[in-house]
Amino acid sequence: MGSLERSKKKVQLWKKAIVHFLLCFVMGFFTGFAPTGKSSMFFNGVTISDHQLEFSPQPVEVLNPVKTQVSRNFTTRELEQTEISTAPKESHDSGNLKKTEEVARNINGELNPRRLVIIVTPTSKRDRLRGVLLRRLANTLRLVAQPLLWVVVEQFSDSTEVSEILRKTGIMYRHVVFKENFTDIHSEMDHQRNLALSHIEHHRLSGIVHFASLSNVYDLSFFQEIRAIEAFGTWPIAKLYANRKKVIIQGPICDSSEVIGWHLKKMENLTDTSTLPIHISSFAFNSSILWDPERWGRTSSAQDTSQNVLKFVKKEVLEEETKLKGIPQEGCSKVLLWNLHIFKL
Amino acid sequence: MKQLTALQQQGRRSNSFRGASLPLDTSVDGSVKSPATIFWLLLHGFCCLISLVLGFRFSRLVFFLFFSTSSPSTTTNLYSALQTTFPSSTITSPPAVNGTAVAVGGGSRVVVGRHGILIRPWPHPDPAEVVKAHQIIKRVQREQRVQYGVKSPRTVIAITPTYVRTFQTLHLTGVMHSLMNVPYDVVWILVEAGGTTNETAALISKSGLKTIHIGFNGKMPILWEDRLKVESQMRFQALRVVRQKKLDGIVVFADESNMHSMELFDEIQNVEWIGAVSVGILSHSGGSEGVESSAVSREDNDKNENSQMPVQGPACNSSNQLVGLHTFNMLPFMERSAKYVGDRAAVLPRKLEWAGFVLNSRLVWKDVEDEPRWVKDLDEVGREGGDIESPLSLLEDPSVLEPLGSCGRKIMLWWLRVEARADSKFPARWIIDPPLDVTIPVKHTPWPDAPPELPTSGGKVISIPENTEKRVPKRSTRKRSSRSKRKRVPKVLDERVSTRNSGDN
Amino acid sequence: MRSWRWVLPVVLYFAFCLRIEASKVHRTQQTERISGSAGDVLEDDPVGRLKVFVYELPSKYNKKILQKDPRCLTHMFAAEIYMHRFLLSSPVRTLNPEEADWFYTPVYATCDLTPNGLPLPFKSPRMMRSAIQLISSNWPYWNRTEGADHFFIVPHDFGACFHYQEEKAIERGILPLLQHATLVQTFGQRNHVCLKDGSITIPPYAPPQKMQTHFIPPSTPRSIFVYFRGLFYDVGNDPEGGYYARGARASVWENFKNNPLFDISTEHPTTYYEDMQRAVFCLCPLGWAPWSPRLVEAVVFGCIPVIIADDIVLPFADAIPWEDIGVFVAEKDVPNLDTILTSIPIDEILRKQRLLGNPSMKQAMLFPQPAEPRDAFHQILNGLARKLPHDKSVYLKPGEKILNWTAGPVGDLKPW
Repeated sequence: MGSLERSKKKVQLWKKAIVHFLLCFVMGFFTGFAPTGKSSMFFNGVTISDHQLEFSPQPVEVLNPVKTQVSRNFTTRELEQTEISTAPKESHDSGNLKKTEEVARNINGELNPRRLVIIVTPTSKRDRLRGVLLRRLANTLRLVAQPLLWVVVEQFSDSTEVSEILRKTGIMYRHVVFKENFTDIHSEMDHQRNLALSHIEHHRLSGIVHFASLSNVYDLSFFQEIRAIEAFGTWPIAKLYANRKKVIIQGPICDSSEVIGWHLKKMENLTDTSTLPIHISSFAFNSSILWDPERWGRTSSAQDTSQNVLKFVKKEVLEEETKLKGIPQEGCSKVLLWNLHIFKL
Repeated sequence: MKQLTALQQQGRRSNSFRGASLPLDTSVDGSVKSPATIFWLLLHGFCCLISLVLGFRFSRLVFFLFFSTSSPSTTTNLYSALQTTFPSSTITSPPAVNGTAVAVGGGSRVVVGRHGILIRPWPHPDPAEVVKAHQIIKRVQREQRVQYGVKSPRTVIAITPTYVRTFQTLHLTGVMHSLMNVPYDVVWILVEAGGTTNETAALISKSGLKTIHIGFNGKMPILWEDRLKVESQMRFQALRVVRQKKLDGIVVFADESNMHSMELFDEIQNVEWIGAVSVGILSHSGGSEGVESSAVSREDNDKNENSQMPVQGPACNSSNQLVGLHTFNMLPFMERSAKYVGDRAAVLPRKLEWAGFVLNSRLVWKDVEDEPRWVKDLDEVGREGGDIESPLSLLEDPSVLEPLGSCGRKIMLWWLRVEARADSKFPARWIIDPPLDVTIPVKHTPWPDAPPELPTSGGKVISIPENTEKRVPKRSTRKRSSRSKRKRVPKVLDERVSTRNSGDN
Repeated sequence: MRSWRWVLPVVLYFAFCLRIEASKVHRTQQTERISGSAGDVLEDDPVGRLKVFVYELPSKYNKKILQKDPRCLTHMFAAEIYMHRFLLSSPVRTLNPEEADWFYTPVYATCDLTPNGLPLPFKSPRMMRSAIQLISSNWPYWNRTEGADHFFIVPHDFGACFHYQEEKAIERGILPLLQHATLVQTFGQRNHVCLKDGSITIPPYAPPQKMQTHFIPPSTPRSIFVYFRGLFYDVGNDPEGGYYARGARASVWENFKNNPLFDISTEHPTTYYEDMQRAVFCLCPLGWAPWSPRLVEAVVFGCIPVIIADDIVLPFADAIPWEDIGVFVAEKDVPNLDTILTSIPIDEILRKQRLLGNPSMKQAMLFPQPAEPRDAFHQILNGLARKLPHDKSVYLKPGEKILNWTAGPVGDLKPW
């Protein structure tokens, strides 16, 4: 082992060290550029300069003298955010995030973010059963796995009945109120549904929209099923009549989850799109169709849709059978939704 | 900076020292665990760290040079830079932010003037955060219950008579969802007329509640009057189970088509022995032909709107003392009340419905020390054979009844009887099998070569009566191809088996 | 070989990050208040600890203005009127100015409303000046200290700067004649020319009776995660955006309108107060001024206030543990609001709610009629009592003058 070789090795070692330093420098450089954690990282830097004087370059910025506890928490999160944004996914198992994830898992069983379900329920004060049925539907919706958003529409009135019922349910809901008067119950219901849709559109809420009438009764697995919908989904609905023999099952006929035909009540009016025969509660759709029509490969005909979003959606459901999914997925042959028809009280 | 270079020099010095004393290759190798090696490594890491910090500081410097042209002492707003790449799409926000936009830094200066509107590049809510938020809400709600709710709640024992029919799923699901929401322990006793069935078992197994499913000897009669008697007997059978198993809690009679407000289950926790709640009677007229409507539908507007809903339940005087019970006045309805199931007339309740009573389960136990003297023995009452009108027949003296729900001012429970006609049929377990006929084909059928018109094969496969009349005769422009039919049958069978399995468990 | 050698720097890197956390924990602990629980100071009774002399001014300074426009009894600045009424019948009032610790000049400076009902304080400086001129010439007490033992209620947007636009308010600064006096104001922001040392920051006025009628049982499950009702953009006054709320409200809307957890809207529902009672977090972002009536509403309705207003000085901050009951989010952090709020440990949230449930906290935010123990009136008096005794140095030597009576914009010098 000659001294020449030795010094060569030494040089090599130095090269290595310098490479490492350089790498670290670059790493630090880019950490500084990471967008989300910018401020906090900077803040951190200054903190260090306060406490470890040996590093101390002059602090460039004055510190916020009082940092509250919460903003402290926040900075932790911010750090994580930085990690995520620089190295998505992989960094998930590092640091505090793991802990929070574990918390999520503990309660939830597993961390599978579910899609938002948006339930739209129009209510008419002319319906004497409104309060009772609203409670019944709330009892069902409360059991549905989160996240769920319930949009309840009501005509403006002095009565606080609906808001009182809703606020006792503990469900996350939006109570939409309108002032117009209607003589025809059907146009009122449609108006209410349109209002709910424009709320969704205005807020660009992303989820699966379903119109739940007060007279519906659901199997809980229904809500899990409709979460699987990508664009449109449809299913059979059973209409039950008081004191009658008949039971009408209406809805799609499927091959696996592919819709191959319809079983509909009234066919005569099919050409007239205003009275589409599809039952209002027998389909659901991805709300992004409302506020992001381009994504679904159609020109945004804003004027058409804003007038009557509901009509537009119904039309889409019937026309877009390629994106239409039968529910439940195994041949859509199981009824998960019943609609009760009671005669005039 | 000076210090830093000094440090580095120091490092160099120590390094050269090390190089002189130790063979370098071992230190590179790292296999020798001498403290010197570790020190060298530490030093190396330390220097790496310094580089890191330097890099970080340097990036800040670069940042200032490039982005903040105006004021060197304030932080530039990175978001405003981002904003140009993610412009807001709403009309209301004209973001137009340029380099002059300055955000308030962490400092305590007051920055007056225009600020950037920070819009982050990741627009959608993070699903993990949504989960966390809902957990927070859940915890908060639980905490509220702990703080303001019932302390040391008792088990709720719900008794429900049932039998398999068209409306069973609909009704039972409603009651089941109510019970599933009860924040206390629940034991659900179902008494099924004609013996237990897998249909019912499958349905209630979804509840996740503690259920006791027992059969009742005897079919459900078709006349309403007989039916009410049988139902009372069924409830008695359930009470006998409560006695046998010594179930401790509060017995509620949750009838199938009852609708419950969640406050009911809090309110009944106040019962000492036997309580009465107000029941809102939703009697429907049964409907004259034609004016058919779903619950959300037309109604003779003004005439019926203000008509009061009949209420059964406790009546009190001004000092909240029980003075009697509101019973249902049948007289105005007698003539047009329903006699048999499916009769198109109003189904009337009894004078007092079982659903309006809640009991302490110890009341039906045998040989309880602290049992009040005014209660009759369960077997004694049952043996009398006749109709057991209401839980009042258990009592020697009805004045012991405790009024609940602010003495009847609050209704927390509704009663409605709706049934299909007795001969109404429905697909077993609501699985459509065989599948429905195609009445309107989808425009682009997946099999363009399918035979266009099949002659209607054999008898109708639909098991839903009266369904066909609604169908237009020229139905099935394109019938299911035999191919697809073959494909489907085993699939459905599979499903059937699986549901049955789950039902049996 | 190479790989494991890299472990060390990486470990060090994380250690370094942790170190930052640790040092920060240390910092906040230092700044955290000593009395962690809901302030005991709130329970203090001011009676017997101070005496207030109320100047009797011609009614044109107060009652007449109110008669002209009773609407100022209900707006956010109504505290100046109710405080006057309260003091008149309060046991701390003294009729003997010689024994008084504090002197109060009842001027309703913000009650002069525009036809639309907007309290724009254009005439306030002149009104105030005229009142001070009056008391300084009729009584000897002002000249003794040039106002150091006098207090004034100036609840307007930017307090005694008397302008609704921040830039103009800063330009004007605190009215020169009030620079010695103690100011009781809603405006509070650290290091701001419109907040001088020793001022008492009070909550804005929110109608207590009206709020009381909207109380719902505390058992009502809270089902809204984040709630906000109000403007996001003030298109009329700030068409470009970015001035109003320093862009923070606009940022809330743009980032979270599509988040179902955020129940935010410009529409004011009839159930506004009820909805606050079923929300976990209520946003209290700054508007034109850093404070907002939502602070009061959130505390009264037990909704954790999320305060988005950098360097805000909160009402009765020396008595109310705001850090314990609220969440502070820096204006620049608004885009991360969802992350911030969801990462607060649940125990901390529950603790904040428990503290908010404390009735003395709610009471301190309200100006009830008639006054009740521990309400905001009493907290103001407590604050004044804590400033006693006055420092000897505030008393001027004979012939000494500090205040410049001719300072300020020429427009302010015109007689009122």
